[in-house]
Amino acid sequence: MSEFIALRGVSKSYQRGGETLRVLDGLDLDIPRTDFVALMGPSGSGKTTILNVIGGLDRPDEGSVIVADTELSALAASRLPAWRARHVGFVFQSFNLVPVLTARENVTLPLLLTPLSKAERRKQAEFALEIVGLTDRMDHRPSQLSGGQEQRVAIARAIATDPDVIIADEPTGDLDRETANEIMELLGRLNRELEKTIVMVTHDHLAAESAKRSLHLDKGVLVESGRGPA
Amino acid sequence: MKVPWGLALRHIFEHWFRNLLTVLAVGVAVFLFCFLVSLIVTLDDQVEEASQDRVIVQSAVSLFVTLPLDYLAKIAAVPGVGDVTKWQWFGAYFQNQSEGFFAQFGVDPDPFFRMYERDIRIIEGPNGETAPAAREAVHLAMLEEKRGALIGQALAKKFGWKVGEAIPLTCTLFPRTDGGAWDFVVLGIYEKQRANVDDSTLFFRFDYLEDTLRNGGATGPLGSGTFFVQVAPDHETAEVIETIDALFTNGPQRTKTSTEAAFQASFVSMLGNLPLFLGTIGGAVVFAVFFSVVNTMMISGRQRIRESGILKALGFPNLTLGALIVYESVLLSSLGGLVGIGLAFGAARGVRQKMANFFPNFAVGPETMAIGFGIAAGIGVIAGVTPMVHLMRTKPTDAMRSEG
Repeated sequence: MSEFIALRGVSKSYQRGGETLRVLDGLDLDIPRTDFVALMGPSGSGKTTILNVIGGLDRPDEGSVIVADTELSALAASRLPAWRARHVGFVFQSFNLVPVLTARENVTLPLLLTPLSKAERRKQAEFALEIVGLTDRMDHRPSQLSGGQEQRVAIARAIATDPDVIIADEPTGDLDRETANEIMELLGRLNRELEKTIVMVTHDHLAAESAKRSLHLDKGVLVESGRGPA
Repeated sequence: MKVPWGLALRHIFEHWFRNLLTVLAVGVAVFLFCFLVSLIVTLDDQVEEASQDRVIVQSAVSLFVTLPLDYLAKIAAVPGVGDVTKWQWFGAYFQNQSEGFFAQFGVDPDPFFRMYERDIRIIEGPNGETAPAAREAVHLAMLEEKRGALIGQALAKKFGWKVGEAIPLTCTLFPRTDGGAWDFVVLGIYEKQRANVDDSTLFFRFDYLEDTLRNGGATGPLGSGTFFVQVAPDHETAEVIETIDALFTNGPQRTKTSTEAAFQASFVSMLGNLPLFLGTIGGAVVFAVFFSVVNTMMISGRQRIRESGILKALGFPNLTLGALIVYESVLLSSLGGLVGIGLAFGAARGVRQKMANFFPNFAVGPETMAIGFGIAAGIGVIAGVTPMVHLMRTKPTDAMRSEG
């Protein structure tokens, strides 16, 4: 497996209440293609910051971030959105669906950034919803869906453009145990069958067990804490 | 890349009541703007279109004091006077005073037809003649029929009057001694050619009024409220005015003579500095509505922070998000603009019908509509810019944490 995601000497600080909070301090991380990594650690340890840096939502103060052969730290800020649209799919704890759009329309959103025609976008969105098992809920708005269904729509949206990497920030955080298991099963399938590289932050040990490996982050240092199903 | 314009429409319908109020607020502002500007333009047009070589002689005391009839011959003898006609306000109404009131003037047909050759076009004569033959036919018919009347096409339309129809008018200024109505016969219908003419007026023979007063058939002041004078070509209007007023310096009635344009302007000036007053009201309303729309769009923008974070994370560029909020704002304001223009259009129709005597030419012109719509759209653009800048500046990670 080649190094698909490579972080070298990444540091990141935030200003909080006049104080400088150094969240990441010279962090190194390698994630091969088709890996499924769970990042764990206490609150404020910098897990989400790593996700944001890998997903091109945030930039490090120092160090280099290479994702899918692109040196993100060298990429102009104005080019990051297009890069994200092409390479990354996001799944968030609170689903982050657009409430005024239906499930199908939410999934179609990232496809607007592709050269696909309207008919192709519709077909692609329906295919993504079929993968997550929501063909019967396509025309429902988020408020008409359960939490698990909302997260499935978010996952469908994340895979609609066939991205290289899926970034999942606490994808089971707002779900009950049974639904959380279903979501983790779905992410596992995406990794195994569609060979999506997945980087996931979670506090849930059971969820982390679905990943191929777990990394524990504490005080800016990453330690491999376990290996899940191969 | 496609822009999800439909998202803006969804938001508009999602908060339909708030947005409806915004549309109405802009609509009222644009309505007031268009209405007030049209009022100013109408008044200005009446002055601008008025003739500079036609002068009006009135009493120096007041417009309501009549001048002796023998003044006509004296004015006609003034060097430079081409034509002169009596011009007497009749003040009658048809059927009922509130709905049936309109302007009627007693004139001398011969000079009247010569003086108003360019201002009115007679479109229907007594025997079905049409322009241009109708002019001569109506002129001759008026000389033959003392009760003959020439009416404007707006008046004909309002009351459904036809050529040949007898019109009974009740007059309070010159009431008939038998208590009955004055009878007129429609001999022709005219169409105005210039803004200084009202096409909801009735012109009749002055000698019908004069003879009736003299033989006791009616009561009222015998005289003429004004004399309309056409200055002959190659003569200075100012000199003619000066000579006429000098002629009557020692009475019995002193006169005040002015050009038709100045006469029209004096009506406008009676209302004070109307343009400034109306402009201030219109400006203040537009300004207040501007803040109202900005406030609405700020609220809308705040509710959109989280969504903008999602869209940014998905890869939509800042400019697209900015364009969406400005698009929504411009859409609402422009819709309001159209509502306002529509209201102004309707109101103009009402004004023409109900206040034809004061604002016969009242209309919302295409330029006024364009400016009104431009103001509405401009409000939309400016109101959308503030939330746009905020949304564009917010980082996607911060935006998605927003409760929106």
